Amino acid sequence: MLTLQVLINGILLGGLYGIMAIGMSLIWGVMNIVNIAHGPLIMLGAYVTFWTFTLWGWDPFLSLPVTILALFVYGYLLQRLILNLVVRAQLFLTLLITFGIEVVMVNLARIFWSSDLRQVTPSYAGSNFAVGGLTIPYVRLWVFVTTVILSVVFLLIMERTRLGRAIRATAEELRAARLTGIPVGHIYAVTFGLGSALAGAAGALWGMLFPVTPIMGGALTLKSFVVAVLGGLGTMMGAIVGGLVLGLAESFSSTYIGPTYPNAISFGLLVLILIFRPTGVLGRKEQ
Amino acid sequence: MNTRHWVPLLAGFLVVLVMAAAPGVVSPFMLQFLINLFMLAILAESWNIIGGYTGYASFGNVAFFGVGAYTTGVLLTRVGFPFALALPAGGIVAMLFAALVGMPILRLKGHYFAIATLGVAETMREVVYNLEFTGKGTGLVMPILRSPLPFFYLMLGILVAVTLVNWWLSESRFGYGLIAIREDEDAAAVMGINTPLYKTIAFALSGAFTGPAGGVYAYWITFIDPDAVFKVIITVQLIIMAVFGGTGTVVGPLLGALVLASVSEWLSTQLVTLAELFNGLIIILVVLFMPKGMSDLIRQRAFSLRYFARNLREYRI
Repeated sequence: MLTLQVLINGILLGGLYGIMAIGMSLIWGVMNIVNIAHGPLIMLGAYVTFWTFTLWGWDPFLSLPVTILALFVYGYLLQRLILNLVVRAQLFLTLLITFGIEVVMVNLARIFWSSDLRQVTPSYAGSNFAVGGLTIPYVRLWVFVTTVILSVVFLLIMERTRLGRAIRATAEELRAARLTGIPVGHIYAVTFGLGSALAGAAGALWGMLFPVTPIMGGALTLKSFVVAVLGGLGTMMGAIVGGLVLGLAESFSSTYIGPTYPNAISFGLLVLILIFRPTGVLGRKEQ
Repeated sequence: MNTRHWVPLLAGFLVVLVMAAAPGVVSPFMLQFLINLFMLAILAESWNIIGGYTGYASFGNVAFFGVGAYTTGVLLTRVGFPFALALPAGGIVAMLFAALVGMPILRLKGHYFAIATLGVAETMREVVYNLEFTGKGTGLVMPILRSPLPFFYLMLGILVAVTLVNWWLSESRFGYGLIAIREDEDAAAVMGINTPLYKTIAFALSGAFTGPAGGVYAYWITFIDPDAVFKVIITVQLIIMAVFGGTGTVVGPLLGALVLASVSEWLSTQLVTLAELFNGLIIILVVLFMPKGMSDLIRQRAFSLRYFARNLREYRI
């Protein structure tokens, strides 16, 4: 019974890792930018939810559209005004500039919001229900359901809309996309906006389960990366599978080994996957 | 040896002489600043070996710093080694650690390598946090040494050594091998360079100097804990100093360390977070306006706005 409980905990957490990784994987896949500021974007989303909840009493689930919109605009501007200027530079420079953005975001958060641990605690935060001896907290379940809904919406945007086609075309062949009249600068910015929006949503949900601090993002950048690589870069299903794998690995290891090495676990997974299956669990061969 | 060699060597020797005499004249506050400056310059020069010459962007060099600091600290306080033995031990352990970690992760390229090094640093922090003999999260307290002079001369000595190694790299067959790997790794391999060995040696060298800097730091600051010696901001500083000055050059990282450490020092007298914020802003501005660093700026004698504007336009979409 314990095993089943651990399994469920892992799956519920895995959904959250999944949407973090979809955002990172999208930005990476389309623009070849590995966004070290992905964790701070999650942090920003968590703070937006925290403040709307604390100042105006907005329910964290209902304020999700506001958080998503705010992070979309933020991400759009970041790409349009800064990252579009270096997007064709060598890997090291794009990595470095997102590193700079992460440092700036973390320290601004420290200055404006202090380093205190914050938590979003709606009235139903502690309640749970039991099914056949298993305890399932409401919040975790709803968080999981929300991540599933967001993934499906995102998938529909990418597969079924003109915008999604434009993004995919730009990722495939920048010059050809431009020749067919796609405004690539705008599309890049929208892509970064979408990635940021997913990160922000993940942060909003994260804040209901774990403490929110300015430095929470560092480990989450690493985890998003691991999950994106784990599942196979550029595949939606890959990110979700990767998220579940990491969620389960963490859930099982913290029950049976102890909760002291959460990042070592994800890093160990990364090394294993890179050695044995460099293209990820569901990945295609890289061109 | 021709003029090209002995002029910089002589100039360097004079600078070192002046520096060695500095403790006699400068204020105690200034002395502390110099020790810190030398340390940051060591870290930047060490990073330059792997990140600059070899072109492998390590975002985890702080792991070597922490490993060196903790090896020296543990040997000093738990085992009872004298500092004269504990410090070299810190260097050796950091070097072996770099070589061992390097063997698997140097097979990775680009983003994968960068994130893997980030993971190494984060994992080491966690490991040290949980080990009994490193004092877990509470850290280690060193014996107190009243005089700052030993720290000053040790940092200066290590800095001279790592700078000489960088200079050697810029002139030697081995260094050219590393540069060949940076420019085109497959071509380098075809030319007969044993790329895995070269990369591992470069990474180990990087660790061999970063480690002792950590060891001296531990004894100088008298107290270390996992968050202090494995913190990301150290990585931020050392990379941006190397990039600001110019990667893959001998004097670039020194120049970067001098300029940025001075500004940071002044800012941190205002507010500590401000100094970190400044580091982040500098990264963004440097990538946008002078990605080749100050040494390129000086070499091209391009002290006009046009130089910056050209850089800004170069990689935009």
